[in-house]
Amino acid sequence: MRPNIFMKDRVAIVGAGITKFMRRSLETPRELAWEAATQALDSAGLTLKDIDCVVTGSAPDTFDGVHFKGEYIADGSGGISKPITRVYVGGGTGVFIPDAGFWHVASGLCKKVLVLGEEKMSPAHPHPQYVFKYIWDPILERPLEPNLIWIFAMEMRRYMTKCGAQKEDIALVSVKNKRNALDHPSALIPANITVEDVLNSELLVWPVNLLDISPVTDGAVALVMTSEDVARKLTDTPVWVDGIGFTLENQHWYNRELSFPRYLNYAARMAYKMAGIERPWKEIDVAEPYDPFDYKELHHIEGLMLARPCEAWKLVKEGYFNRDGELPTSPSGGLLGVGNPIAAAGVMKVAELYWQLRYEAGKRQVKKAVHKAVANAWGDLMQAGTVIVLSN
Amino acid sequence: MNHSMKEVPGIGLKSSEMYSLIGLLEDRPKARYDFSAGPTVSKFLLGLKEGKILGKKCPRCGRIFVPPRSYCEWCHVATSEWVEVPQTGIIHTAVVSYISAKRQRLEKPEVVGIVRLDVPGYKDKEYEFAGLFHRICIDPKLVVTGEAIGMRVKVRWKPKEERKASILDIECFEPIG
Amino acid sequence: MMDMSFEKKGRLEDIVVWPGDQEVDKFVYTPGIHGTEFAKGLKDGKILGMKCKDGKVYVPPLTFCPDFSKGEIAEIEGDWVVITYTIVYEDMYGNFLEKPKVIGFLKPVNGEGGLIHYLNVPIEKINIGLTVRPVFKEERVGNINDIKYFE
Repeated sequence: MRPNIFMKDRVAIVGAGITKFMRRSLETPRELAWEAATQALDSAGLTLKDIDCVVTGSAPDTFDGVHFKGEYIADGSGGISKPITRVYVGGGTGVFIPDAGFWHVASGLCKKVLVLGEEKMSPAHPHPQYVFKYIWDPILERPLEPNLIWIFAMEMRRYMTKCGAQKEDIALVSVKNKRNALDHPSALIPANITVEDVLNSELLVWPVNLLDISPVTDGAVALVMTSEDVARKLTDTPVWVDGIGFTLENQHWYNRELSFPRYLNYAARMAYKMAGIERPWKEIDVAEPYDPFDYKELHHIEGLMLARPCEAWKLVKEGYFNRDGELPTSPSGGLLGVGNPIAAAGVMKVAELYWQLRYEAGKRQVKKAVHKAVANAWGDLMQAGTVIVLSN
Repeated sequence: MNHSMKEVPGIGLKSSEMYSLIGLLEDRPKARYDFSAGPTVSKFLLGLKEGKILGKKCPRCGRIFVPPRSYCEWCHVATSEWVEVPQTGIIHTAVVSYISAKRQRLEKPEVVGIVRLDVPGYKDKEYEFAGLFHRICIDPKLVVTGEAIGMRVKVRWKPKEERKASILDIECFEPIG
Repeated sequence: MMDMSFEKKGRLEDIVVWPGDQEVDKFVYTPGIHGTEFAKGLKDGKILGMKCKDGKVYVPPLTFCPDFSKGEIAEIEGDWVVITYTIVYEDMYGNFLEKPKVIGFLKPVNGEGGLIHYLNVPIEKINIGLTVRPVFKEERVGNINDIKYFE
């Protein structure tokens, strides 16, 4: 893999804002966007007038029940009369939004970019889960009346078989992340739970139980990204974007191995190369791997090369990924604890690393000194990998 | 949220609170579609009706794709030759579903999974393979114990008169012997 | 040269078509922060807008103003003006309507923005710039149809 990327400006993150993560919000999607955007601008010491360009992201229109969702949330995102872009790669959108913010600044096109992810999943009934039916192939898959959890369960089963992990090993991730979320003011389902609670929760699609999964969520998260010269004027502690990566696999997910996320590994290699990171397992201090399901965090730790294939589940048992561990993962509480408003959830992970790298995460601050961090998101039928590498 | 920020915005509602909101609106879209399978997958589906599984071969790298594609994504050339492939393979992964697409509890759980077909040209450890996603007619217990993974299976066809060129012409995959 | 030709000899009859839909049982839309106030206003027979720092009142209220600050709820009084209109002769399924409907984009004289609503004006009299007023229904629930039409 040889990413031919040419940068004009170094890119920094200088502000972040977030709404509560809620099962159903009173706010409309555009109001959620506005709440997060104003918080991010305030934290950067900027107003909307200062912003050159806006990058938004939101997952399928079928959740909010509004077509052209990018246009619908444009005013709340602060994008009126400005160059505005909506990016979309399913669940991978969350990290793809700051990736896109990066190229807006790195190219020299814009100096100050407002970056925003919004999701309101609650409008779809009988259950937002049903909307996922429409991501399956209409000819070869949909006639089997699949539930989206099937594909995760299949991947988790494959991981268990290939790596020798048991359900109780994997449940530890859910226990860790929900516990971490107790310290996050936006969290929807923070909790002190045990492995037994996970194993005894409602069985949905074996091997997946209810507490293995992140919840349906409404929420929005925003960042302010600027060029180096602007960042130096605004703050003494900018967080730098050292590398980005994004790649896609084809949609034929059942013609692939599944136990190892190649979709992510390609993107991670691209981002590390750009960041000059050769041994991520040694050089990364804190990570926010994408965790819509508990096994998915393990899968992504391995795809990000923070652990060898099939070893992440063993390290979880040793506390290696705890907040006071060797390589803390999902110190925010992740999607499993804070919640999963799809496109906003990925931005939440990047915001968490921004706060961690500025030592502003309060009770969530990891114990060790931090210098380099990585977040990822994944999207669609085991296809989209999006990665961002940050440093302070 | 960092320590310098004010309160986190957001007004969360319980279901009952949401339904008692003045100004709440409901809508039900009624969009209908006819999905064309395209020339290549159509031929595959017509093959199922005849009790055959058809793949298509890339003239450059020799991969046989099942389900067939019109093009090879790796070489970016048109696939050329149709090949009838074996109706046997091994279970790559399998799960037991207790819920429907609408997330309602199923009376009887069903087993679904991926079958890696015995198609020549793929090495055992290769990341990609030819295979199908379908129902699997085995005892759910075998999925939980792990015995199902790697099990040899073959296609169980629907009776010929019930087949209508659909993926459902295959009833499921069942163990050999 | 590689053979780049796809099979183009197929007949339409050889194409398999699978029927489907893209449905949910329903979408439930919350009205939002100022949207709830707007809905309550309609129930009370009032049209509410949002007053911003620029002194203008925007209808319908959106919580945030063009300058991105939060606005204040304010009632819109007085006449409305027809900015543009259209005459609808068919329903969504292409069936001919017995009585054509007139749909107008209407702006309050004392405010910004506007509403789209039915106009109860004879077709021969409808014109851009016409002054109109909302007529409310007797029984109101708190949505845009609490306004019967403008006339």
